[in-house]
Amino acid sequence: MRNVITFVEHKAGKTRKVTFELATEARRLADALGGKAQAVVLGEGASALAEQLKGYPLDLIGVSDDPEVDRFLLDPAIDYLEAVAKGAGPSVVLVPNTLQGRDVAGRLAARLGAGLTSDVTDIKVEGGRVGCVSPKLGGSTITTCAFKDAEYGVVTVRPNSFTAQAGGGGAEVVSLEKPGGKAYLMVVESDVEESSGELGLEEAPVVISGGRGLGGPEPFSTLLGPLAQALGGTVGASRAAADAGWVPYSLQIGQTGKTVSPPLYIAVGISGAIQHKVGMRSAGTIVAVNKDGAAPIADFADLLVVGDAFQIIPELTKLIREAQAVHA
Amino acid sequence: MKILVTVKLVPDTNAEKRIDPSTKRLVRTGVETVLNPFDEYAIEAALQLKEKLGPDTTVTVFSMTPDSSREVLRKALAMGVDDALVLSDPALEGSDVAVTGRAMAAALKKHGFDLVICGGLAEDGNTGAVPGALAEHLGVPGLTNAAKIEIADGKLRVERETDSGHQVVTAPLPAVLTVTMAVGEPRYPSLKGIMGAKKKSVALLAAADLGLDGPVGAAGAKTELLDIAAPPVRGKGQVVVAEDGPAGAKLIFDFLKAKKLI
Repeated sequence: MRNVITFVEHKAGKTRKVTFELATEARRLADALGGKAQAVVLGEGASALAEQLKGYPLDLIGVSDDPEVDRFLLDPAIDYLEAVAKGAGPSVVLVPNTLQGRDVAGRLAARLGAGLTSDVTDIKVEGGRVGCVSPKLGGSTITTCAFKDAEYGVVTVRPNSFTAQAGGGGAEVVSLEKPGGKAYLMVVESDVEESSGELGLEEAPVVISGGRGLGGPEPFSTLLGPLAQALGGTVGASRAAADAGWVPYSLQIGQTGKTVSPPLYIAVGISGAIQHKVGMRSAGTIVAVNKDGAAPIADFADLLVVGDAFQIIPELTKLIREAQAVHA
Repeated sequence: MKILVTVKLVPDTNAEKRIDPSTKRLVRTGVETVLNPFDEYAIEAALQLKEKLGPDTTVTVFSMTPDSSREVLRKALAMGVDDALVLSDPALEGSDVAVTGRAMAAALKKHGFDLVICGGLAEDGNTGAVPGALAEHLGVPGLTNAAKIEIADGKLRVERETDSGHQVVTAPLPAVLTVTMAVGEPRYPSLKGIMGAKKKSVALLAAADLGLDGPVGAAGAKTELLDIAAPPVRGKGQVVVAEDGPAGAKLIFDFLKAKKLI
């Protein structure tokens, strides 16, 4: 494996931070392997996004605005990716570990007869071998897996694992040829965006999560929302809060929910049972606010403040706003 | 209509797990093997479809698993699944995602299906790539993250969750589906179900029954495990009692400031 291909996930040209994290990592990896770094952008808005990607250290950006990519689920995208991979020769393909990314990775790896590593948080190259580090078993073990006997390796990368760094641009943008002769079966009849403009949970730099201690749905918007906004983060929840119907399941962190690794995680009214811990234990810094100083979260939070969240959080939001006003 | 539900048997997700530093293996003592929690939603979705589509519909639970774990599948049978199919073979030990996808697809094809339903993600490996691989190997539509499933005239209509909203997607059968928790809480086995499960059939398949091309198990794997380690220890931090709201807020503010997080 010499070259690195990164799949760019986007909607109508709007993408997420992880795209730039992967573009940056693709460069580093390609340099370590002595190959080229290329991005693939497909579907409506691809050309515009390719222009944005030129600000990142890639060699090549393959683009197609083909509307079929959006009209049919996945199949056209896999065909494009297969063609790009075969054109590039032995390569590592980086895909974000998101709902769509996992679909792409599973399909593409099977198509290419490739090895697959998933939820990867670090990639090491030693003697030309690509080793992928990923937490398994709810983060209780860290494995390193290498590709063997494979021309292609597909890697799903956990958002927030690499730092995006613009610069070193000058990538050549090339139009990808449409793979022909297929009748696509999965038809997208309607496509509704619900959270436009908001950060995805997995890539937010700060996650403020609420649990049973919040007592109902309102505090998620009235108490946690303003703090998340002040910190440039987003709101998550424990399973207890999702099960109670206070927030949608899409906000649930932990077992049967999402796994996040933000630089800062603030847990409010969450006891920190294992089913929550597995989804956030790899956060950079964990701060908790809880009424119970003996809650399990005391064992792994960097700071647990024992007290009334309904008193503390609004004051904290105020302090942060004031500090920002001084700097502004 | 023939529905196959794939399940993975995983170490109990509610148990704290640790790696033995000398053997680099999971300490299994006191850790039960259970149905992967996401897969229970797949079973629930299949049983709901069977209720809707009528008695001509059968639901079979399928697992590729070491033989020692296969009794765990009784829970699926007790929930109302008709029978079980197990692919179990020492030759498959050490299979990675690539081999697992190939072997499972061959087993599903051999059994025959109109619809394969999977959970979205396994709690142990956290890969979520096998359903896509199955669709690819089987050459059928693969629709993921279904919240609502409708079947009419051999056509599938699925409302699926995306990272930023939802979509309605249609596709012909046969197909592979994964479901989200929105399909509904998995049912508890009834006493009648538990009694009945003892009599239900659990058929066994070996790797040789599948006519697979190429090596399987560790020999066929495209990845190999180089290292397995415990995560960096996350020590107990400070626990401070806040006198009141402003005091608590100041504690957190100063802490975040010291860490340069604000």
